[in-house]
Amino acid sequence: MFASNLLLLLAIILPLASLLLALRPDWQQAYRYCLPVLPLPALLAGLTLGPDASLELPGLLLGGLWGLNELRQVFLVLTATLWLAAGVFAVGYLKVHYLRRFCVFWTLTLAGNLGLVIAQDVASFYSFFALMTFAGYGLVVHEGSKEANRAGRVYLAMAVAGEMAILTGLLMAVQQADSGLLADLPAAVAQADRRWLIMFLLLAGFGVKAGLPLLHFWLPLAHPVAPTPASAVLSGAMIKAGLLGWLVTLPFGEVSLPGWGNVLVILGAVGSLGGAVLGVRHRRPKAVLAYSSISQMGLMTLMVGAALANAEYAGPLFAVIGLYVLHHGLAKGSLFLSTAMALPAGRSGQWLLWVLVALPGLSLSGLPYTSGAASKLAMKELLKPENFEFALAPYLPALMSAGAVATMLLVWRFLWVQRTAVGTGNNPVFMWLGWGLATISSLVLFWFLPWPREASVPGWPGSMVHSAWSLVWPILLATIISAVAWRSVKQR
Amino acid sequence: MNLSVLMPVFALMTSLLASVVLFALPEKGHRLRTIINLAAAILKIALVGVMIWGVAQGCKYEAAFTMLPGVEFVLRADALSMLFAGLSALLWLLTTIYAVGYLEDSPNRSRFFGFFSLCVASTMGIALAGNLFTFFLFYEMLTLSTYPLVVHRGTTKALRAGRNYIIYTLTGGAVLLFAIAWLHGLVGDLRFQEGGYFSDIAPSMRGPLAIIFVLMMVGLGVKAALVPFHGWLPQAMVAPAPVSALLHAVAVVKAGAFGIIRVVFEIYGLEAAKDMGLLAGLSVVAAFTIIYGSTRALYQVDLKRRLAFSTVSQVSYIVLGLCLLGPVGVAGGLVHLVHQGIMKITLFFCAGNYAETLGVHRIDELDGAGKRMPGTSVAFTLGAFGMIGAPPLAGFITKWTMGSGALAVGMDWVVAVLVISSLLNAAYFLPILHRLWFAEQCEPWPHERRWGRLETSAWLLWPPLITAALMLVAGLIANLPFSPLSWAELIVAREVAL
Repeated sequence: MFASNLLLLLAIILPLASLLLALRPDWQQAYRYCLPVLPLPALLAGLTLGPDASLELPGLLLGGLWGLNELRQVFLVLTATLWLAAGVFAVGYLKVHYLRRFCVFWTLTLAGNLGLVIAQDVASFYSFFALMTFAGYGLVVHEGSKEANRAGRVYLAMAVAGEMAILTGLLMAVQQADSGLLADLPAAVAQADRRWLIMFLLLAGFGVKAGLPLLHFWLPLAHPVAPTPASAVLSGAMIKAGLLGWLVTLPFGEVSLPGWGNVLVILGAVGSLGGAVLGVRHRRPKAVLAYSSISQMGLMTLMVGAALANAEYAGPLFAVIGLYVLHHGLAKGSLFLSTAMALPAGRSGQWLLWVLVALPGLSLSGLPYTSGAASKLAMKELLKPENFEFALAPYLPALMSAGAVATMLLVWRFLWVQRTAVGTGNNPVFMWLGWGLATISSLVLFWFLPWPREASVPGWPGSMVHSAWSLVWPILLATIISAVAWRSVKQR
Repeated sequence: MNLSVLMPVFALMTSLLASVVLFALPEKGHRLRTIINLAAAILKIALVGVMIWGVAQGCKYEAAFTMLPGVEFVLRADALSMLFAGLSALLWLLTTIYAVGYLEDSPNRSRFFGFFSLCVASTMGIALAGNLFTFFLFYEMLTLSTYPLVVHRGTTKALRAGRNYIIYTLTGGAVLLFAIAWLHGLVGDLRFQEGGYFSDIAPSMRGPLAIIFVLMMVGLGVKAALVPFHGWLPQAMVAPAPVSALLHAVAVVKAGAFGIIRVVFEIYGLEAAKDMGLLAGLSVVAAFTIIYGSTRALYQVDLKRRLAFSTVSQVSYIVLGLCLLGPVGVAGGLVHLVHQGIMKITLFFCAGNYAETLGVHRIDELDGAGKRMPGTSVAFTLGAFGMIGAPPLAGFITKWTMGSGALAVGMDWVVAVLVISSLLNAAYFLPILHRLWFAEQCEPWPHERRWGRLETSAWLLWPPLITAALMLVAGLIANLPFSPLSWAELIVAREVAL
């Protein structure tokens, strides 16, 4: 047990210690090559430690407790894998322009993002969350363009407002729970007199990070302007921190709250469909992908709403949300990294690259035998209308199908604009490695990563054949719509 | 005489004697002066450290003698005095180091360091004072010893600020003296006592006591820069940076806040003050000051002036904390006495570094300063985030503790005040940080000096780095014994029976 504790500590200490490399300007090249190493202890912890690993740090802040559980394990594996892939990519991607500064902010953001996953007490969780938020600003404005600065301002303003909502919500919840541990909050919030206010504050506060509709304005501005590896972690991993915040603080499994369920299902539906509507109009690949993230987070919000509406299903839904988080994070990370890849000169090489770029996108929309298909089937299995009693429950399957169509539309749009944006040439080897790592983990490694136990897809290679049609028709429909749209644009 | 009597006297005498010696030293004795300064500061830290340890173990340190019939001079070390004395001893050392670097080659150093020591001796006296009379003695001594520091540069602007300062503080002092004398006439000489004196006071006494309370708050509120008595503080920032640092972090504003703590806790008693309805008014004034100071800070273009208005706002956290009638909230207010001190001194050190190294005084001249002066800018960044209350820094511990305390006693509006203040703090600090790290330097620095390999003189660089580290540590280990928070909780447990 002792060694496992050390691993959790190392997961945070190593990134923080690497800041020493920033002490001298001439160490910045060494720092660049260290970036991929930073998330390794966390990845190791996520893969090898059991869900019971925990580490008490009584002197830290107001009494610290770090550890894992099944949900956190999934989040940790995703976060560490993506930061690893993006870190490798960054080694090849980064220019000398403010290299040291970028490395510092990268490291701090990474430490915050990993730390908030393993933090089990409120003070450390909030500390890591804030660290990630504020350090993330450095990644957003790194390029220094007018656009980046504007995006940074919006990001920061909304993030600070979000932080304040979170702080107030957490203060009230902790006061109610009379305990500084996250694990004690849901029950206390469920019992609170001012439950609606606490829930509102936490939903809104974390919702800023999660790109909840109306709180999302910063997201399509900030995700695209950041340097590409930073965009990948922003949209793949950091966006999930808001979701995790919901999952660990709201009263899931304590009481059924159909009212809140309805609200979140509506917000999720608006996010998943509205994100697509706004996204297809954009011309820059990264902006389209950012809207796709809003859309995907909408689908996850749908599940969060269902889990709030019916306490019984919170447990299994958590497992599916975990699965979906892993799937979306890796696929989106790979897509973002691919925006910076130049095409090889040869035709066959180009085709191969396009297929590999498209596959994670198709996975997002649920192509059979991809991670997306597995998560979508698991999600459908649970979100049957008969399992739920709240007003919007009957519409869940329709919303999910509409979401799948919307996703595929965005993917087509992304491929379309990417085709015009992309150049040909050589990529640095580290960019190949990083992108390859993200793509392989999205397409192949996904199946071997530790899945949440409860999200078992029964006999699923077989079941995927059975449900192939339900998976494929949204893709086909979206393809037809895209083809029609493309033709009409061409004729004009 | 045994050691428990002598310790507080020694702690006071170290800086008092140092001051006398420093005045006597010739202007040229630079090295000797520095040695005396540092030796006295280190000796004092050791003395205070021993007393802190002793107080934690339950020892009593007290020295008293009768000055006039019915008026005693009392020096006493209790948990509350150690909070202030510890802060003051620690920051004195760092500020002395900083001042030595800052005043290199400037005239009148003998005078400066003499009054500087005298000023610290006064703060020590304020911390250790065991009754209102002794407190007042040192409180006025502080006014007189800081005046020469504020006007040190001798410019017209400095002289005007100094005159303003002396008018404000002497008037405040007169009001305080009047209130103390009135109280003395009513109830005699009162030593500071845990739980206060007036918990079961006769109803007929309530009227005069309430008026006396208000008068005392006015007298003390001048130094604590409560609105509307804060006018002197933003002007006083013309003083040299080490003086501003000391003024804003330890000496003057803290003396006012500390006096308010003493009066509320140990003369009136929290319960009595609440029953008489005195704290409700005080909390409103404090809350207003918090918002007002932050709002004014937003519109300042001069870095030190912005920091000065930030002080107006932050010191009132301490006062507001006292008005949260529960152990948690009160601890939050007390701990901010220390937290605000180390955060604000960091920021002023950094402002001084920018001025001294680059000649930068205005915020819009700071573009790209992070690249030129990374160490200073890291310290400034930490200080700014601390002020915003971002975790895991010291300011967060304050905000969290005060917020919890407010909710525990049903004063939810205080949380709203804290949130608004944090938003305002973010609004006036984050743009500075953007300039430091992300803006490109457009024009040459107004008045740049080079110090070889380092970004600035080592004497100037290390103090802010150390205080920034302290601020981080104070937040990170808040739960360990002897952290500021634990000490504040110890005070609350010992002194205030709630």
